[in-house]
Formats: sequence, structure tokens, C-alpha cells
Amino acid sequence: MNITVSVGDMKTGRTGDILVTHALGSCLGLMVFDPVAKVGGLLHAMLPLSSINPEKAKGNPAMFVDTGVPLLFKSVYEMGGAKERLIVKAAGCGNPMGKNEIFKIGERNYTILKKLLWKNNILLKAENVGGTASRTIHFEVDTGVVLLSCNGSKGPL
Amino acid sequence: MRSNMRIDQIGGVIKAFPAMPGAALKLLTLADAPCATVQQIEDALRQDPGLTANVLKLANSAYFGIPSKIGSVRQAVMLLGLKRLVQMVVTTCAGAVIDRGVPGYDLPAGELWRHSLAVSVAARGLAAELKLPAADEIFTAGLLHDVGKLILGHFVQEDYPEIERALAQGMTFEAAEAAVLGIDHAEIGARVLAQWSLPENIVHAVRWHHAPEKFGSVDIMLDVVHVANMLCLMIGIGVGREGLLHEPSPIVTRRLGLGPLHLEKVASQTLQ
Repeated sequence: MNITVSVGDMKTGRTGDILVTHALGSCLGLMVFDPVAKVGGLLHAMLPLSSINPEKAKGNPAMFVDTGVPLLFKSVYEMGGAKERLIVKAAGCGNPMGKNEIFKIGERNYTILKKLLWKNNILLKAENVGGTASRTIHFEVDTGVVLLSCNGSKGPL
Repeated sequence: MRSNMRIDQIGGVIKAFPAMPGAALKLLTLADAPCATVQQIEDALRQDPGLTANVLKLANSAYFGIPSKIGSVRQAVMLLGLKRLVQMVVTTCAGAVIDRGVPGYDLPAGELWRHSLAVSVAARGLAAELKLPAADEIFTAGLLHDVGKLILGHFVQEDYPEIERALAQGMTFEAAEAAVLGIDHAEIGARVLAQWSLPENIVHAVRWHHAPEKFGSVDIMLDVVHVANMLCLMIGIGVGREGLLHEPSPIVTRRLGLGPLHLEKVASQTLQ
């Protein structure tokens, strides 16, 4: 079944599911997969820190990297995923052109992700981040294959 | 030479673009008149019952947050005021054209409309967050800023290989449009809205929404729409083939007093 993950959302799936998210601009797309338990999850987080809008974060933790990433891992563990087997991939975190730091939400999203992963001893298996492209992800939970579409081409991440 | 030919073709499509309904135009004129009466507004809308029905539907939608049910034009004017009623009429008319899919930019049906509404909401949110006195027209300007894409999309699609070559030189997407096609979507949008006789400040905001520093003067509404548009594209609302190939203006950032936290706060409020 195709499961669409919209902006500020997180979904998990099992064998037979394809988790899809569209139009990753400055947002972070994070994919977590356990090849033995055959479970996975996809997060589409919009902003780095939940402290900017705690009320929103309470109702929708997936909107922020600092609350969405723990939610994603917890949800995959609850489905039978084990930390030592997890394969983690990241995409998105783009920025507009120019040097205007204020608009570098993508960069800030990536920084918070790396901090969280580092603190928890988790390494990224693959990443396609930064730049100006809008990215779309198809994550096949059966095989763990992540297909990334961007700039008119499609390939595995 | 080629771009000259394109300009002529594009000019023809602008002229043939659907006109604003007569009732909506009448109402826009009344909104500028200092002593318009409710009777005049009712008369203007009476010409177009379909439009009236859609406006009342919108007035009753959650977006405007009116607790009681609005059943008549008179009630709508009383509860919302003429300016907001005009906003609704423009929204209703615009929705009919902006809702379709846009080739060239790879926007599926409904996506440009979603982007347009989000930019309106974000613009209003930014003005509030920065405590700026933005004009009432900011809603309409946000809603209509990309109307030119509806015309240019077809031409972008046809000349995409050339646009890609221009982009490879490090241009923004709108600069590549202008380099290859002789005109960009912002200028086309401004010409359509001028043709619809919309107020000048809306036309300017649409014309310069990617290059506010090129506008000969300073208009807060234009600056805010520029930022709101960039923000909505970044959070993936209405971002198509062009991705984030736009450049936010540092001059605008400075003169608005915009910081990263303002931007992120508004982003968190914009998503429904």
C-alpha cells in the first residue's frame, strides 16, 4: 500500500508498504529501516526546534526535527525494530540561492539532525541533502530501497 | 530573435486570459470609493448569483472564523466589512482559474491554489509577527502573485532544455525565464492584474515579488509577499520543478527587521 507522508508528518510501514513523501525543500526527510523485522518509518519534518512553537509541537511533534526524530525511532522500535540493525538515510534540507543566512532553515534542520544522531551513536548510511532541488522519496519497506526523484531524474539513495 | 517571437505569442495569451467578472470589477471600484453603500454592493453582486453563492460559502468557511451563519450579502458586509468582502470576491474569482494544474512548473491540479492561499496566510502572519502595518490588500496580493505561471507554464514546458542551460549558468529560475522567453511569470502576472484593473499596489507587489529591490520605491506589502512566497516554497507548498532556485533579498530582510526565529515561527503557524 502507498502511504503518503505530508509536511510535518511521520508514518511507519511493513512489508508491502511504500512510504512516499513529496516536495522536500528545506524540510528533512528521514528514513529508518530494519532489514530483519522488515519495518520502517519516514519522517517529513519542517523546522529544527520545537521551542519555536511548543503548542504546535505538543499536537504534532513530527513538525520539528528535535521532537520528530525521537518519535520516528520510537515508533519503529514499537513495531519490532532494533537499534543495532537500523539503516538510516536522510534527504532534503535544501536552501534557496544566495547567502541569506536567515533563510537557511534546511541547514539548521540538518545540524539538529546530526546532533541528535551523534548523541545517540547513530550513523547515516546515505544522504542526499542541501542544494536547491525539490526532492520526492519512495521508500519500499519490504526491501529498504529508497528511490529519490529530483531534477527530473530518479535513482536509489 | 526567438525570445521576441515568444514575447509576441505570450502577449497574445495575456490578452486572451479570462477577464475578471463584471460584478467583481464593480465591487473593486466600490471598495476604493469613500462612501459606498451596502445597497450599491448588493446591486453589484446581484448581477452574478453564482458568484454571490460562492462568496457566501467562503464567508461561512472556517477560514474567516465568523461564529454565526451568514445568509445574505447585507449580513456579510455588516459582519466582515467591505474590504474583506472584496477579498472574498477576488478569492472566489481567482480560485476558478488558479486551481488547475500548471505544466512547465510541474504543479498538479490544486497545488498552485494551495501555494497561493498559503502565501496569503504566511504574509498576514509575517506582518503580524513583525508588527508591520501591512495594507488590507496583502491577502489579495499573496493570493494572486503567481497568476503569471498559468500563462508561462506552457512556454516553460516547450523551452525547458534552454531554460535548463540558462540555469546551469547559476541564474535564478525567474532570470532564466526572462533570458529564454523574454519575460518572467511575475511580469506576466502584473500585466494580467493591470488588465483586471486591480489596485496599483497589488500589481506592483506581483510584478516585483522576486525582485523587490528593483521596485523604485519601498512597499511593506511587496516585501512581505516576497518573504512569504520564499518561505512557502521552502516548506514544500507549491514547490515545483524550479525547486528553491530563487534568491531571498538581503535588503528586504534588513528593512523588515526579519530574523530566523520570525521566519520559523510563521512557518509553524502557516501549515494547517
